[in-house]
Amino acid sequence: MSKITVENLSIKFRIYHDRSPSLKDYFANLFSGNRPAAYSDFWAVRDVSVEFRSGDRVGIVGHNGAGKSTLLKALCRVYESSQGKVRVDGRVAPLLEIGAGFHPEFTGRENIYLNGSILGYTDAQLRVIEPEVIAFAELEEFIDTPVKYYSTGMYMRLAFSLATAVHPDILVLDEIFAGGDAAFMERATARMHQMIDQANIMIMVSHDHRLVSSLCNRVIWMDHGRLVRDGAPDEVIPEYLGRGAHA
Amino acid sequence: MSVMAMVFATIFNEDVKVFAVFLFAGMIPWNCFNSIVVQSSGAFINNEGLIKKIYLPKAVFPLSVSVGVIIDSLLSFVALFAIIIAVGGTFSTALFFIPFAYVLLFLFSLGVGLVLSIVTVFFRDMQYVLQIAMQGLFFLTPILYKSSALSGAVADFVALNPVVPYIELFRAPLTQGRVPDESVIYQAFVISLVAFLIGLGTLLSQERKIVFRL
Repeated sequence: MSKITVENLSIKFRIYHDRSPSLKDYFANLFSGNRPAAYSDFWAVRDVSVEFRSGDRVGIVGHNGAGKSTLLKALCRVYESSQGKVRVDGRVAPLLEIGAGFHPEFTGRENIYLNGSILGYTDAQLRVIEPEVIAFAELEEFIDTPVKYYSTGMYMRLAFSLATAVHPDILVLDEIFAGGDAAFMERATARMHQMIDQANIMIMVSHDHRLVSSLCNRVIWMDHGRLVRDGAPDEVIPEYLGRGAHA
Repeated sequence: MSVMAMVFATIFNEDVKVFAVFLFAGMIPWNCFNSIVVQSSGAFINNEGLIKKIYLPKAVFPLSVSVGVIIDSLLSFVALFAIIIAVGGTFSTALFFIPFAYVLLFLFSLGVGLVLSIVTVFFRDMQYVLQIAMQGLFFLTPILYKSSALSGAVADFVALNPVVPYIELFRAPLTQGRVPDESVIYQAFVISLVAFLIGLGTLLSQERKIVFRL
């Protein structure tokens, strides 16, 4: 049974007023008495408590900068909480940015192993899924070519096939991708639906309300880092859209 | 490096062959240390994209760079060793000490590298400062010269240089065919341990902050 518990989660970002911190500036400011505040705090996620149980298909909606992606990244441990706790039971598959961590000089096959390890697959698992990944991406001809020579579509197909090769307990999606030709998109969408069906918990961020309504059974509305509403899609989405129209 | 050997052998009025062995034996540990420190200082900022997108234990980045450098260094050791033997270096059982010297050198370099990799995240210009600092440190380390050639304040200063024992660890087996003095091994061991623990401590205390500062 997978379960995610988020208790009073807050994530604080520091916004630095200087472009990038340097030793030179640090010493310069050390000796000049009037030191301007080097940064201000920004709470991307503030005091969010929520629990996801098995069977939840959660859509997170909200304006740009509402803290949706930050919350997802906190679930995937990219960001550590400043306050509060995140407890995750189950294997998380983050599909935040597919293709991150591909090495351009390596061939497609080598990247399956490199990126696969980054995604948390074991070596034995990778050997099993390798032919399947290649077949799904339709890259049999080019799999031993360095990925820097791949077209954008080929690159995306390989990344998608690999990221979705093993069915995870918990699936985390950020703004579903585009890329690949029509035929591939169709198969990718089918596979996506299959993955969503098989995942224990699915959490996604999307601005496409129709997609959220069709895939999710629970919607969370975030605004300025706070959780505004949590409920069924047909209640929360109209309210969000209504509020959004006025704002 | 051969050019360096010829030039400095002439300046110091030494036999080129003897000096070449002496120089190479010092350059092997230095290059290894230098590359590990300089390259791992950029480990986090070069992998910014990855760190922001996916969770990985932060130690992976400096560690992978350091292991890469060590492999590189071992290969160049083999090449330099061939040269050393060709120009009349000594073959002895003391050479079995070299792997142990590498372990100590690796721990020390990794510790320093870990600290600097994190400092660089907070102060981006550290990379440039580091390059200059390493150049200065090179001349404060008895690589081109014998430590006995120094005297006075400079000698005391160089004696504080933590890299010195590691040079000796490599130099004793390669140039004199003997295991380094016990005191030097002991010294290197303590420095490695301290450097590694400081590096590890810095990493563990700061790793949660790294992603916010990239």
